[in-house]
Amino acid sequence: MALTTVVYGAHEFDISYEILNPHAKVNLIILHGWGSNKEIMKQAFGQSLQNCRHIYIDLPGFGNSTCNAVLTTSDYAEIINAFCAKNKISKDVVVGHSFGGKVALLLKPLKLVLLSSAGIYLQKSFKVKTKIKIFKIFKNLGLIRFRKFFIADDAKQLSSCMYETFKNVVNEDFSLYFKRYKSKALICWGKDDTATPLVCGKSIHRMIKGSKFIVFEGDHFFFLNHSKEISSSIEELCAGELN
Amino acid sequence: MKLAVLFGGASFEHEISIVSAITIKSKLESFDLDFIFCDTDHKFYYIKDTKMKADTFSKKEYKKMPVLLLQEGGFLKQALLKKEVVSATVLNLIHGADGEDGVIASMLDFYKIPFIGPRTPACVFSFNKLYTKYFSQGLGIKSMPFEVLHKTDIRDVSTPLPFIIKPASLGSSIGVSIVKQQEELDYALDVAFEFDSCVIIEPFVKDIKEYNLAGCMIDDKIQYSIIEEPHKNEFLDFDKKYMDFSRSSTVLKAEIDSPLEVKIKDTFAKIYTHMFEGALIRCDFFVMGGEIYLNEINPIPGSMANYLFDDFSMVISGLAHSLPVKKQITCKYEYIHSLSSAKGK
Repeated sequence: MALTTVVYGAHEFDISYEILNPHAKVNLIILHGWGSNKEIMKQAFGQSLQNCRHIYIDLPGFGNSTCNAVLTTSDYAEIINAFCAKNKISKDVVVGHSFGGKVALLLKPLKLVLLSSAGIYLQKSFKVKTKIKIFKIFKNLGLIRFRKFFIADDAKQLSSCMYETFKNVVNEDFSLYFKRYKSKALICWGKDDTATPLVCGKSIHRMIKGSKFIVFEGDHFFFLNHSKEISSSIEELCAGELN
Repeated sequence: MKLAVLFGGASFEHEISIVSAITIKSKLESFDLDFIFCDTDHKFYYIKDTKMKADTFSKKEYKKMPVLLLQEGGFLKQALLKKEVVSATVLNLIHGADGEDGVIASMLDFYKIPFIGPRTPACVFSFNKLYTKYFSQGLGIKSMPFEVLHKTDIRDVSTPLPFIIKPASLGSSIGVSIVKQQEELDYALDVAFEFDSCVIIEPFVKDIKEYNLAGCMIDDKIQYSIIEEPHKNEFLDFDKKYMDFSRSSTVLKAEIDSPLEVKIKDTFAKIYTHMFEGALIRCDFFVMGGEIYLNEINPIPGSMANYLFDDFSMVISGLAHSLPVKKQITCKYEYIHSLSSAKGK
């Protein structure tokens, strides 16, 4: 692991990262999802794609990276851009899981790999809508301490600043960005994903022209069990550039 | 004999300490051992010896075990109806921060708890590699030439390639890398700076002879271990250094002639005497052109370097009976009395 300081706007971020296969030529930047960290991604891909230079990054506020500012998804992308510029890392292939998928998209890499990416807005279910309505009643009655029974799992135990960031990045519609992306893309999904259901993957596949779409057995973290297949698809995506 | 093994700590080497303690349990079977775990929040727990397994800690089962509070002379165990004091001599087995930086030593001293381990001044000189350099310079013992770089410094390194980068205050090989080409420098520095804001840079000499020697003072005489020549793959990385520390007596005595052996032991004695009393330490030396260089001092070596001693139990019980005694201060308030009487009150 390594730590470097990136200055963005008025804030400094300590970014924790790790590089594997330092002498390989093609850069493979790997971004984790919300509430996750680079170790989980390394667990999946650390042993494969040996002809790529892997760069695992903890996004600000996760793993060992710090964050003391309220951020938007595009702030995240700009911070990663600044990180890449500082460390002279070209964005050859960027892999993003879930929230990391949205950040990866905004990085405009030469080749994009989305694993159960976020970015498609789904109507809230009746259950969630009701929960929100009930909580708003409680809140108006001054019963704010009931919040813990209503808050999303992803938002539990977040610092106030990360909670604000969470509100910024959740439920964003990135359709426009998906449609604008013109380079090669590989989209992989878990069949039984409940966090970002399969329909989201299908929509993204339709929006990115010429993208390849593969569905695997598994849930939102399907890639942990299918890293070999995904890795060989990434090799195909790079079409011989890796050798 | 009774001994309380203190392990864990708020340190990058927290998990190493757990493995170390589990190893020690099997190496000191004839002892009556208590186990005291310090979690990363600085809470102490009493761990039954049947629970001394990696799972107890990784699955946080220790949180259900009795909490210990500090009091003069020992740790206080509070059970439902009775209070019990764990009054054994403590074996400080916390590696890295807390254990080797003087925090635990000061705490135990303050509460008058007898312990095996380095005292506060010994910690200061051995924990930070920069201060170890000053210490060896003061004693007239050679060490590798070096330069220091802080996190915010411009990354100008004058040491010629290849060189080795080490975080200044980490006990093990965590964060250490060898830089062979200029392009590798930035990443290697980022790796070291993740652990410490100050790093030491030394020339890297391939195939340099390295010898390890452990020992401790028992009845005013230093008991030495065998001298080991560690097998290394360029340098001992984190995994190698620690994953094999339960290795038994298969460690081979280094094949060195007796003048060199004497020289290494004399250097060890110079380092140890009047500084490390009460501790079992391991010194790592380089030998280059017949000269001995001090590489590092491990004031609490992994699993107490048990594999280097023929009779480890004997060494530990001997050391437990040779601990330095702190001078007791009593105050008779004579000065204040004399002032009062001068004023005629």
